[in-house]
Amino acid sequence: MKFGPKAAAAALILSASLALTACGGTAAGGAAAGSTATSLTLGTIQDVRSWDPAQAHVGHILQPYQAVYDTLILREPDGKLSPMLATAWKYNAANTKLTVDLRSDVTFSDGATFDAAAAKANMDHFKKANGPQMAQLSAVKDVAVVDADTIDINLSTPDPALEYFLSQAAGLMGSPKALGTEGIKTEPVGSGPYVMDKAASVKDSQTVFTARKDYWNKDLQKFQKLTFKILTDLTARTNALVSGQVDATILDPKNGKQAEGAKMKLAANEVDWQGLLLLDRDGAKNPALQNVKVRQAINYAFDRKTILDQVMLGQGTPTSQPFGKASGAWTEELENYYSYDPAKAKQLLKEAGYETGVTLEIPSVPGFETQISVVQQQLADVGITLKVGAALTNTFTSDVAAQKYTTMYFSLFQGEPTVAVNQIISTKALYNPFKNATPELDAKIEAVRAGGADAGKLAQEVNKYVVEQAWFAPLFRVNQMYYHNAKVNVTPQIQQAVPSIYNYSPAK
Amino acid sequence: MIRFIAKRLGSGLVVLLVVSALTFFLLYMSSGSIARNILGDQATAEQVAMKEHELGLDQPLLTRYFAWVADALSGNLGASWFSSEPVANSLATRIPVTMTMVLAAMILIAICAALIGVIAAVKRGWVDRVVQVGAIVGDSVPGFVIGVILVTILAIQLGLFPATSTISPDSGADAWVYSMSLPVIALLINGVTGGAQQIRSAVIKQLERDYVRTLRSRGIGEREILFKHVLRSAAPAGLTVLSLQLIGMLGGVVIIEQIFALPGMGPLAVAATGQSDLPVVMGVVMYTVVVVIVVNLLVDILNGWLNPKVRVS
Repeated sequence: MKFGPKAAAAALILSASLALTACGGTAAGGAAAGSTATSLTLGTIQDVRSWDPAQAHVGHILQPYQAVYDTLILREPDGKLSPMLATAWKYNAANTKLTVDLRSDVTFSDGATFDAAAAKANMDHFKKANGPQMAQLSAVKDVAVVDADTIDINLSTPDPALEYFLSQAAGLMGSPKALGTEGIKTEPVGSGPYVMDKAASVKDSQTVFTARKDYWNKDLQKFQKLTFKILTDLTARTNALVSGQVDATILDPKNGKQAEGAKMKLAANEVDWQGLLLLDRDGAKNPALQNVKVRQAINYAFDRKTILDQVMLGQGTPTSQPFGKASGAWTEELENYYSYDPAKAKQLLKEAGYETGVTLEIPSVPGFETQISVVQQQLADVGITLKVGAALTNTFTSDVAAQKYTTMYFSLFQGEPTVAVNQIISTKALYNPFKNATPELDAKIEAVRAGGADAGKLAQEVNKYVVEQAWFAPLFRVNQMYYHNAKVNVTPQIQQAVPSIYNYSPAK
Repeated sequence: MIRFIAKRLGSGLVVLLVVSALTFFLLYMSSGSIARNILGDQATAEQVAMKEHELGLDQPLLTRYFAWVADALSGNLGASWFSSEPVANSLATRIPVTMTMVLAAMILIAICAALIGVIAAVKRGWVDRVVQVGAIVGDSVPGFVIGVILVTILAIQLGLFPATSTISPDSGADAWVYSMSLPVIALLINGVTGGAQQIRSAVIKQLERDYVRTLRSRGIGEREILFKHVLRSAAPAGLTVLSLQLIGMLGGVVIIEQIFALPGMGPLAVAATGQSDLPVVMGVVMYTVVVVIVVNLLVDILNGWLNPKVRVS
């Protein structure tokens, strides 16, 4: 009996663990998704809220919609706009009417025909469905059916981004029979390359699509089966990619190291910029910020390269401008406009009459604590005190709009020029809550809006203005770390953290 | 016994009502900018106002609460503000996943903890010391850390299990077993060590009581004393510990489910709370309260059955 208790305890623990592990032997085979060349499994951060095309969003929340819905215009990986459901489109001289020719050989998965009336129905629906990207069609006055395969999009004001929007949420075409019904919220009905396998899909867990028979454009239909596996947790996404459960997913620099260790390939892409938004430029709440020299001093205080290397493991590019490289507004000369120069920062503060120091208050931002503490340290070196307040909560958009913050650290999307202007510069922009404006800047913005194809070039002037006036203190553009395995080829898509669905193909 | 159960059920309902009212008012009083959250940062003021009307946020709080209660009584818990999916549907697909995992873990914990605890209490000596040390080690390592270690070794390096859940409608029972194994083990280790420790002390306490000495002096065998008398008296303590563990586990599974991407209540709770999807948050809270009430009721009934004294008091 001497070994009794020991044996009993050991047997107990062993049997418990064996009972659970014994059956594991064949699990790996069943677990590997995307194991055939014609199936693709993507790890995504969140499920779509509603499959109504008018509820589509940008970037990674656009990708699932592209599986079932075609857009009027196709945006190539480099940003070039190509025909899709629209075969040709042309503006009138005043840029207030866009005439769009449509394909006449396309049907929706419920049998409905795609034609001018269907396109109009979609755009009318989009304009009133109150979706997150409803603003994309805010310049559109109405849509008129010219003939069976032509529409006129009439604008109240010119919008150089309209063609781009027609390649995004606003261009997604759903079946006119299904639009506005309850059914389309949970089961999409489009003309796209795939159709949803509702029986195999579970909300917030996985969405399964199969290739649609007789899809009109076989070049865009590269897989027989497409699965979105919703993996909110970063660790779960890393584990799923490394163990072969998903073929591609988005990670961050740190977890990317683990993926690289497992021979995953990186399709990196700069999509957002990070840095300070010096919002109170008229000094309504913090008089120091009214002085352009103070704002410039803040810009000179940062050693952007070192911050990037330390915090983001070097994944990105230091920059002084808020506009992105692909926007057309980006210029080489503004890239390092504010180089690291603490002496100059101190000098500028002195000239501005703030020799004794400046105090800035910013909210803490979940996920950016490290960046904020580094920024705090470097500002302290030139005599600027950064007081970090309570964290942003899910009410932060209203808080920003209510002028609660005079300065904030944030990461923002770098889109098309007018998108960026509407987001951070114009008086209607959420991130210009104090509605700062000058006649000079207004004129430049107006020129961009009316600029048509030259909008990007004209936006360089806006960019130059806000950089020189130090409206922001950008630190760097951040690399989006999109990883995939060797079974698929992935082409990054400009201005998107997650590529468009057309950018994946089976590796030969 | 029936009166006893009825009384417990009644008080459970009162708790449910009080918690629902408190949660509702706390949540909805601070729901100011929810419409803007749903619409994103490009939305105009008119869009926001339109959405608020759509969600009924322009109505008085009390009216909304009573409407919610009336709907809830007929099984309608409202719909998610973000996905429009009925909350009752979300709960119905997710509760089975979470409850399967929790119940599997609890059954294993109960068996293992009872065996280890009783053996440690009866044998004492080095066995007891090993259990004590194991309890400290097991208790001090959080379940999610164990989970991450298990995934790294058993799923990624050895490929024995899927790294994240493969549960889906077209998968069979085997997918459930494979997907649940690692999360259950992760939950198990904490539970067993903590539970064994408590059961051990409860048994030791009983073994030191006078009635045990009396029974021994009458020549009744050790085995009979243990199984017929001691365990029966020690059971209430053990049951209470296990029920507390089960309730605590409802919190623990939130992280475990995230790590293993199990489509259970955890990710739903996290997502709903993060984006202030209040109808879903209400649903999650109600589910938790119901589980707590039911578990407590079951423990009370079991205790009453094991120990008549409880029923009287």
